[in-house]
Amino acid sequence: MTTVLLFGVLSALVQFWSWQSDGRAADDTEQLVLVQEIQSSLLRADALATNAFLAGANAEGDQQEEYDAAVASVFAHIAEAAEAQSADREALAALNVAVNDYATAVAEARVNNRQGFPVGAEYLNLASEGLRADAIPILANLAEANGERAEDAMGGQQPVWLVLIGIAALVVLVRVNQVLARQFRRRINVGVAVAALVVLLTTVVSAAAAARGSDQNDDLLGDELRSAVDQAAARTAANDAKANESLRLIKRGSGEVFEAPWRESAAVVEDRAAEETLDEWAAYAESHAEIVALDDEDRWLLAREIAIGDGEDDSTRRFAAFDDASDALVGEMAETTTEALRSGRGFALAGSLLTLALGFVAAVAVARGIGARRREYA
Amino acid sequence: MRPSMGLAALTAVVALVAGGCGYDATPVPEAAPEPAYEPADPPTCETTDSDLASYDPADADPSSGKVDEIRERGRLIVGVSADTYLMGYRNPENNRIEGFDIDFARAIGAAIFPNFNAGRDLHIRVINSGQRIELLENGELDLVIRNFTVNCARWETIAFSQVYYEATQKVLVRKELDDGDEDNGEYHGLEDLAGKKVCAPNPSTSLDNIQERQPEAELVPAGNHTGCLVKFQRGEVDAITGDDTVLAGLAAQDPSAVVPEQQPISEEPYGIGANADDEDLVAFVNSVLEDMRNGTWQRSYRKWLRPHLGVDATQPRPVTPYRS
Repeated sequence: MTTVLLFGVLSALVQFWSWQSDGRAADDTEQLVLVQEIQSSLLRADALATNAFLAGANAEGDQQEEYDAAVASVFAHIAEAAEAQSADREALAALNVAVNDYATAVAEARVNNRQGFPVGAEYLNLASEGLRADAIPILANLAEANGERAEDAMGGQQPVWLVLIGIAALVVLVRVNQVLARQFRRRINVGVAVAALVVLLTTVVSAAAAARGSDQNDDLLGDELRSAVDQAAARTAANDAKANESLRLIKRGSGEVFEAPWRESAAVVEDRAAEETLDEWAAYAESHAEIVALDDEDRWLLAREIAIGDGEDDSTRRFAAFDDASDALVGEMAETTTEALRSGRGFALAGSLLTLALGFVAAVAVARGIGARRREYA
Repeated sequence: MRPSMGLAALTAVVALVAGGCGYDATPVPEAAPEPAYEPADPPTCETTDSDLASYDPADADPSSGKVDEIRERGRLIVGVSADTYLMGYRNPENNRIEGFDIDFARAIGAAIFPNFNAGRDLHIRVINSGQRIELLENGELDLVIRNFTVNCARWETIAFSQVYYEATQKVLVRKELDDGDEDNGEYHGLEDLAGKKVCAPNPSTSLDNIQERQPEAELVPAGNHTGCLVKFQRGEVDAITGDDTVLAGLAAQDPSAVVPEQQPISEEPYGIGANADDEDLVAFVNSVLEDMRNGTWQRSYRKWLRPHLGVDATQPRPVTPYRS
């Protein structure tokens, strides 16, 4: 009877654990997406700050507002992420300091630029460098940690364990039946047989459900979540590239210094962005190539016009098209992943409770089967 | 299995599943260390007065050679800085490159082209300091006017005009160290830098000079002089050292900074760089510099540097005998 009870409790616990894992996977996925969002917003803020700086004090209105909104969203997301995952709090506190330093340096850059002082460009340059040296490595750690957590949690479905527990219970029940057969001279004990049938059916159904859940999680991991993470990484790299484009024009005469990191970021975009967003990226890259050609010929004013202009063929408009499409795609994929992870959880919990109940039923069947023999031979 | 053993196993499993789901804390990366002071490469030769001699302006012939080639081409190509305030920088108001060095480029352009129009005839190409010699050697630039110190090592690869400004290495400090009040400290010279944090680009002869003459100063390197000004404004350093022209540009951007009257630490004679083969162009540039003694040089100095250096200066006399 203890064996069957143990089977019920263990099987229920394995299913309960899977239920918990899927919940954690959904939470970790949301945290991962939030971290990616912070990273994208931060680089977006840098792209906006550098482009607004390039436009100059008289033409920075809309971009300045967008920059302020991006930085505000970064701080809000940091607070949200710290609330959601206590293991990330120390890293997020360090990130908060780094972002604060960055925002302060950008404000100093802006004040100096408005007075026409070249030190403004240095503040901006140091802000961008500091962002990449201090904040981005913290975000990389956060993304890696939450990616691993989500992946581990998604592997929480345990069909093999359920099968092994079921087989172990069946082996014990068969052995019990053999012992009873020897002692009471009846080949099959009905109670034990009923319990074995319950164990068998419960094992088959719960293992099949767990296997299906495991496949679904593998699909989510390989498709929607991978797409969301890849597109977020592409969006981050794209904004990094756009910031470097502005910096090369701000630090006039130092084109190659900023072009090399632009090319590195562009390679990340081309490698990781979804097919449907690559046309927008190619259009932006075309504008960028024009800027580089003009800047290399020292036709700086024309290059600057393309970099800050809002015309259809200008770099900023084309870049915004890629950024918006990426943002929408990341949101869509992330939502699909977390919804799918949460949607099956009710069944898993019900299955866990049902298994527990069936374990009790099987235990009662064994008790009755043995009791009946005892009464016969009493 | 005995019932008591089964129950014990059951309890253990429940405790295990219910208890352990915490994650390890996400690691926080360590901050990268600040770059340390690196001595500059030692000079390969010793610069003497004769190294400051250039080609005789009397030999200038504007109707032939390189000058004629530039006129035929239709534009003079000059490499300048765009981030050295007062010397060569982009004015964000009008996006034009302006400054003391730029005035010399315009004067040379005006001497080459009869109806000089800067927008049409003068191609200002912004370069960084590391590109100065390379772009002259490969012929991409006609001239470089970018706080370019004349020295014997550079003469081995390029040519220089006669000295157009005698810059010197000095020290910039906070205004309270130059307010006449000895109670809150005053800057008189290098002896006052003991125990102070002094910034300059890394590596640079400016830092080496401080290290040699005031070893008790704490050297704080930065990527460039504007980076030093950022550190100065953030209170990370007490002083900045470099050419007085550069320091004037920094002081002009910060009302709390000043370059006090002081004994110069070293001489930094500025010349206009050209390709080593363009001796005729250099002689022509020297003739333009001589023409600027008509008050043009003084007007430019008074406009850009005098207000921030606080001292009068005169255009340097050419070192003779001229180079042959």
